[in-house]
Amino acid sequence: MTRIDIYSGFLGAGKTTLIKKMIKEAYSGEKLVLIENEFGEIGIDGGFMKEAGIQITEMNSGCICCSLVGDFGKALKEVIHTYHPDRILIEPSGVGKLSDVMLAVRNAAEHEAVLGNCVTVADATKCKMYMKNFGEFYNNQIEAASCIVLSRTDAVAPEKLKAAVELLRQHNGKAALVTTPWDELTGAQLRQAMESAPAIEEEMERLLEEEHHHHDHDGCCHDHDHDHEHEHEHEHEHHDHDDCHEHDHEHHHDHDDCCHDHDHEHHHHHHADEVFTSWGRETTQKFSEEELRTALAALDDTWKYGMVLRAKGIVQSRDGSWLHFDHVPGEADVRHGTAEVIGRLCVIGSKLDEDAIAELFGL
Amino acid sequence: MPIPVYAFTGFLEAGKTKFIQETLEDERFNSGERTLLLVCEEGEEEYDLTTYPHKTVYLETIDDQDAVTTEELERLRKKHAAERVVVELNGMKQIGPFYQKMPRDWQIAQEVMFADATTILSYNANMRALVVDKLSGAEMVVFNRMTRTTDKMPLHKLARALNRRIDIVYDYTDGTTEFDDIQDPLPFDLNAPVVEIKDEDYALWYRDISEEPKKYLGKTVRFKAQAARLKNEKSGMFAPGRFVMTCCEADITFMGLPCKYADSAKLPVRSWVTVTATVDVRFHALYRGVGPILTALCVEPAAPAAQEVATF
Repeated sequence: MTRIDIYSGFLGAGKTTLIKKMIKEAYSGEKLVLIENEFGEIGIDGGFMKEAGIQITEMNSGCICCSLVGDFGKALKEVIHTYHPDRILIEPSGVGKLSDVMLAVRNAAEHEAVLGNCVTVADATKCKMYMKNFGEFYNNQIEAASCIVLSRTDAVAPEKLKAAVELLRQHNGKAALVTTPWDELTGAQLRQAMESAPAIEEEMERLLEEEHHHHDHDGCCHDHDHDHEHEHEHEHEHHDHDDCHEHDHEHHHDHDDCCHDHDHEHHHHHHADEVFTSWGRETTQKFSEEELRTALAALDDTWKYGMVLRAKGIVQSRDGSWLHFDHVPGEADVRHGTAEVIGRLCVIGSKLDEDAIAELFGL
Repeated sequence: MPIPVYAFTGFLEAGKTKFIQETLEDERFNSGERTLLLVCEEGEEEYDLTTYPHKTVYLETIDDQDAVTTEELERLRKKHAAERVVVELNGMKQIGPFYQKMPRDWQIAQEVMFADATTILSYNANMRALVVDKLSGAEMVVFNRMTRTTDKMPLHKLARALNRRIDIVYDYTDGTTEFDDIQDPLPFDLNAPVVEIKDEDYALWYRDISEEPKKYLGKTVRFKAQAARLKNEKSGMFAPGRFVMTCCEADITFMGLPCKYADSAKLPVRSWVTVTATVDVRFHALYRGVGPILTALCVEPAAPAAQEVATF
């Protein structure tokens, strides 16, 4: 079955550049056809396509007043029957609605092909202005996308990037969002972002799941955790109050210092998410390693943030590298690692004060 | 008293706001007239009303240019008792509908288009209809962000092909401006005994003879066309012409000229013919005034033009 990926986005957003990167790095070994419905500034040159073994079809109706649907469906069928490709990449006109293209694809190739990724490339430096002035078709491209890839994120001030992300999220809360400059990412990473649910939701699910299993298999008291509590007592005055008898009722998990309640609780909580809540954020915010460590250490303040079990994430460092962290109370693991498509932070625990946590990370 | 309207068109980031801002800062344009400044597009640049020599400019924002009503426009003008209107139009909308909604006493005094030389050709390739819309009605187009290495010809051709009378200005990043004085010689010789029009030049010739028929008075022309009948016309007349596309398939129009020809009734409609005819300039209902009227000397069957739909 042929898979059809659509790369939409306004003129000059960088669709062609992204498609070229994907062809080079993410779709190798696949039989590809590229259908262009736009006359780009940087056309994909024949030489490159020949080298990559790619068929290229141009559709000459890039004008806003011309309907895409009729001829497009016919052309699409023809392409499928002639080349039997693994994947068709469509670069539609930058001034069309993405949902129209999706509909046309579905109607034209219901039995021969399956609609894959619906990617919208948006210029981070301009998306606010475009949204305000272009209205319908631009918003449609954002709203219908399964993945939004921002371009020129390194050419925009951090606050402006943050505002752009918030604006895009207002129009599309579900799409995977890519804010990392493309040259820091591999095609495979981009492909993964395009093909899966937003990383943040997956991560939160996974953490809850892990904690759930962890919880199930744990015995009663865990010396390990207990030790940590005590090791760090001097740093966290509030923890003193958490000890044993006084605040039992607040604790539902194996970080409790006391065991007597624990078994009892356990019976009721086979589903981790009934007990634990998770807080997660995507972010374009940059942190220094020290800032991150300080923030993570501060999470141990149970009074202020709730009972944090674990915090995990990947954020961009101020020097442009990426920091991966996996934190359990009293033990922060922060190291340098590979770039991600967007920064993300997840915290799970119980009775989390989400506002306080957001503030702690400056979000 | 008519209300003069100064309209500024072009796409986002073409420099409309900056130009209007500077114009209103200029005493020569702003000598205290009560001015309604209508903004239908909000780009990166913002208006600063405090720098104007007179504080009689009143800014109103229109969120949706397509949805605004005549009543709303009238209300805004009255609200500020404006004597004139400066409007920054939205590049992604057609201009016509806005003009049609203007109150009766509003009159276009000037329409100026701004175009970023680094993006306009790409926009033209992909949003031809909107580019045509902006260029064809403007009195002047300013191509800005030009550098010394920018090729003027594609810009010149783009503007000139759509609008014969438009003034073209090039605005360079080094701060200089230059008026376009590129001559466009017609691709046919008007002084030849028979002015031969090549198939690919039909659209250009049609526009030329329609705009300046007197230039052709008494001359003999030869061109290839398709035969069409004229409405309400006695026999002995037909209209040789071609289907002409300005922008895209949606705007294909038949453009023909009335032609006297005794055997016109025998010509199958849409059949291709080579017409040799003399040109007269007279009244015709088709023009609702005077225009070129042909008298056929010879009409011969012909093979269809290689490109059946003519373009500019």
